[in-house]
Amino acid sequence: MRVSRGKGRMPYLFIAPFFALFAVFGVFPIGYSVLMSLFNWKMSGPVEFIGLGNYVNVLTVDPFFLSAVLNTLVLLLTGSLLQHFIALPLAIVVNSRFVKGKEFFKTAYFLPYITSTVAVAIIFANLFDTNYGLFNWALGAFGIEPVAWLADPVGIKVALSAVLNWKYVGWNMVIYLAALQSIPAELYEAVEMDGAGTIRKHLAITLPHLMPVVFFAVSLSIIGGMQIFEEPFVLTGGYENMGGEGNSGLTAAFYLMFTAFKAGRLGKASAIAWIIFVVILLLNRVNRLATDRMPGGGD
Amino acid sequence: MTARRPMFGTTVPRGAAMIALTAVALLFAFPFYYIFVLGTWPGERVLELPPHLVFGNGLSANLEVLLERVPYFSSFLNSLGIALTQTVLSLFFCTMAGFAFAKYRFRFRKQLLGFVIATLAVPGFLNIVPFYKMMVAFGWINTWLPLVVPGMAGAFGIFLMTQFLAHGLPDELLDAGAIDGLGEFGLLIRVVFPLARPGMAILGIITFIGSWNSFTSALVFLPDLSKTTLPVVLAALNSRVDNNLGALMLGTALSLLPMMAIFLVFSRQIISGLTAGAVKG
Amino acid sequence: MKRAIAAFALAIALALPLVAQSFDPRKKYEVTFGVYGDLERAYREVLSGPDFKSKYPNITFKFQTADMNGHHNRLATIIAAGEAANDIEAVEIRFISNLVESGGLTDLGAKPFNGRVVGKDLVKFAMSNATTTRGKLVAMPVDIAPAVLFYRKDLADAAKVNLDSLKSWDEYIEAGKKLTLDRDGDGKKDQFAITHPGDVGVIPLNGGNGGWFEDGKPLEPKQKFLDVLDLVLKIRRAGIDADLGAWTPAWTQALKDGKVATMPLGSWFGGALKTWIAPESKGKWRVAYLPGKLYAAVGGTYLAIPAKVSAARKAAAWEVIKYLATSPVAQLAVFRSIDAFPALTTVYSDKVMDEGVEYFGGQKVRKIYADVALHIPESPVSEYDNVVLSIWMRAVSTVVFGKKSPEVLYEEARKKILATVE
Repeated sequence: MRVSRGKGRMPYLFIAPFFALFAVFGVFPIGYSVLMSLFNWKMSGPVEFIGLGNYVNVLTVDPFFLSAVLNTLVLLLTGSLLQHFIALPLAIVVNSRFVKGKEFFKTAYFLPYITSTVAVAIIFANLFDTNYGLFNWALGAFGIEPVAWLADPVGIKVALSAVLNWKYVGWNMVIYLAALQSIPAELYEAVEMDGAGTIRKHLAITLPHLMPVVFFAVSLSIIGGMQIFEEPFVLTGGYENMGGEGNSGLTAAFYLMFTAFKAGRLGKASAIAWIIFVVILLLNRVNRLATDRMPGGGD
Repeated sequence: MTARRPMFGTTVPRGAAMIALTAVALLFAFPFYYIFVLGTWPGERVLELPPHLVFGNGLSANLEVLLERVPYFSSFLNSLGIALTQTVLSLFFCTMAGFAFAKYRFRFRKQLLGFVIATLAVPGFLNIVPFYKMMVAFGWINTWLPLVVPGMAGAFGIFLMTQFLAHGLPDELLDAGAIDGLGEFGLLIRVVFPLARPGMAILGIITFIGSWNSFTSALVFLPDLSKTTLPVVLAALNSRVDNNLGALMLGTALSLLPMMAIFLVFSRQIISGLTAGAVKG
Repeated sequence: MKRAIAAFALAIALALPLVAQSFDPRKKYEVTFGVYGDLERAYREVLSGPDFKSKYPNITFKFQTADMNGHHNRLATIIAAGEAANDIEAVEIRFISNLVESGGLTDLGAKPFNGRVVGKDLVKFAMSNATTTRGKLVAMPVDIAPAVLFYRKDLADAAKVNLDSLKSWDEYIEAGKKLTLDRDGDGKKDQFAITHPGDVGVIPLNGGNGGWFEDGKPLEPKQKFLDVLDLVLKIRRAGIDADLGAWTPAWTQALKDGKVATMPLGSWFGGALKTWIAPESKGKWRVAYLPGKLYAAVGGTYLAIPAKVSAARKAAAWEVIKYLATSPVAQLAVFRSIDAFPALTTVYSDKVMDEGVEYFGGQKVRKIYADVALHIPESPVSEYDNVVLSIWMRAVSTVVFGKKSPEVLYEEARKKILATVE
């Protein structure tokens, strides 16, 4: 932080574009959706002012919302957050000196991120199919009975977690790779002189230095993970299936979309959106507290 | 072998690590290859079992469908134009804002940054409804503007650049620039932009890919088929009775190439050949 | 006095657009047309054909095509924003419900359209499917999908069963047991009667359209719905289904390889079989009435005019809809190009309906489609249909596991519907 600077208007000027654009393009839609959430607003509303009725309905009466939030939280842990334990070590390994062909690895791990959802749906339908899927074929080779992946509440969660990890590990790895560049080499030399092993070295130097980026990447995973829609939508067969067996793949955002565009309840869907918003803020608060307690956190 | 030896200290574990790394990498890359394979099979054979692992003979037929049924080429150019415009604008505005948040102390800095991040948590799915109303009022339907302008100083990019500049740009370099007589804007152009490359590389990749894949907003804001984007045009091939899955896969495969190119161009900035600041293994 | 004149002038100004907005054959119109899947190709062909050109030389078109979900999401977004979408929007039957009571679509039953008079020769059930519980006609049917039992004749013959006039679902299950075989003798069944028990989860309900409410109460009469859950469970217990998810690679492959002997589905499925699922099985598939001569539809395309489209454009859009829905030339042309069965009943007596279809071994399948179409019960749509259908389908796919009884699942579904619909 450069204390000496910042008396002038420059920093305000630099951040002005965001706030100007937000004032023009953000305020109206956000205000509009707050308004919708207070009405019994159908495809074309407003019909009737009901105050917090939609919120109360969603949180108490609605048979799907709370379990949808629970589904989302489970996938957040097994899909969106788990991958940081894969991505960070992976980034360190790929970044280490002995690995040849860094470009190849970086690219290969990143490819799932740019693969289109249509293709992902076809591929994973092939992999997870009960009777003909590659996974069950492999299990069968070990004498294990076929698992009805996409017709079983637990199977759906496993499949979705696998897809989410597969798709976003490379993206997190790239973030960590970029961050690793900013750690001064001298720091490592110092602990190497002390004779620290690789793992200790990374625990002592890499991790504390990366804490701000870990916070950042985990924040994004929380924000993205709480809004997961496309993957469960495609893998469990669209709106009609409502997330498959036991509504296991029905995430909060999926239910939001269903409520808005399939059930035509825009007021209620807006209320859902705002509840998700609050949950995300709370989770990020937790993330902030957690990373602050880690060595190197709390800058 | 003592506890003091590095984990990858001997050739054998290193070799094993390389093999594991390669195996998993191939697993990750496989679906990418698979799309290209499916793109060469005729539509009615795409979903055959066991799944195809080698290239088929339907390439030219699929290409024909792709070029005759839909304006593939023009939408390719539209997508490219939109994605590049958005990427360039984002890189500029987000780096600028990130610089301010990371390197200046000013009143309400924390609150303003908190606000920027909070806007990320607003689930955007529904905003498209009132946003559409606005775009009609602005007369922006059938133009690139709804896809490019509102997001050009996006909260995500600002958050990202703030993080990277706070920790990746040493204050001394800025001070040195100031001593050389550079103004605030001069510092931004001459010092920040060149040194913010790893962060900008990620932002560039993400912005380009996000824009390139945007489907719903392109479908809604660019109703004119000649002005619309690639994902929209590809979606038009998806039907029940008239199966075009092969052409769809080929179109998808070809549409991945610009994203690959952008990734390779930008990602060079991320591992810049183990320069001074790199981690030792 | 001045004020009175001003008021009069204003009244004229307001009334003028209404008067002047009938279709003007001397004016040039460009109609924008939002469609999905293969409709664009079929409509383009018809609307650039000599018949249309001679009748409406002054109308040109601009199409917007997407996949089915994308198309309807776009439409819902724009209607929810209270803006005008394309002048004509195609709506698939399953998507009518959430647009129905919104007021987002023009009531085509009202003046100046008089859609019920215009559509007097359109098949009755389809007109009712486009009519809301409050009596608004929100779209016009153009193609329909009478449901039939597609089956493999060679497999039926080999198993010595006759699927042509099954009297009940019980008979179907009995025949299904004979059709379920272990062909290669490896101890595992590799030929099944049906892809999944869920295939019959909606077809028996009010012509496949649900009929979810009786006097405002969901899933009533109860027995009707319990019977369906029982049927689904019976099919699974009989062991005659292949347990395949619809439209997965394995599903397509099984149909291609003749590992599934029957398929109860809408008539368009015949087109999919012929063109890409199993083109090489030409002559092997046949069509029969559904067991017990059940009359139902699965699918269908409707054309609607968004309410916010200007009156002048509505006039032109209406001419186009009238043409596509009620002109025999258009109805037959679309049928030929994409196997979308006509909604216009007057063409059911056309000689093309009496022709044998080569893919079905020369069988006159269109006669069956037409007969089914004429007998499907009428059933209006309500705004809740989509939600109820989704909840119902979960009950249907859960019942097959046998862990919860149909009775329990019925109650759960009913409670969920009540809580969601309030």
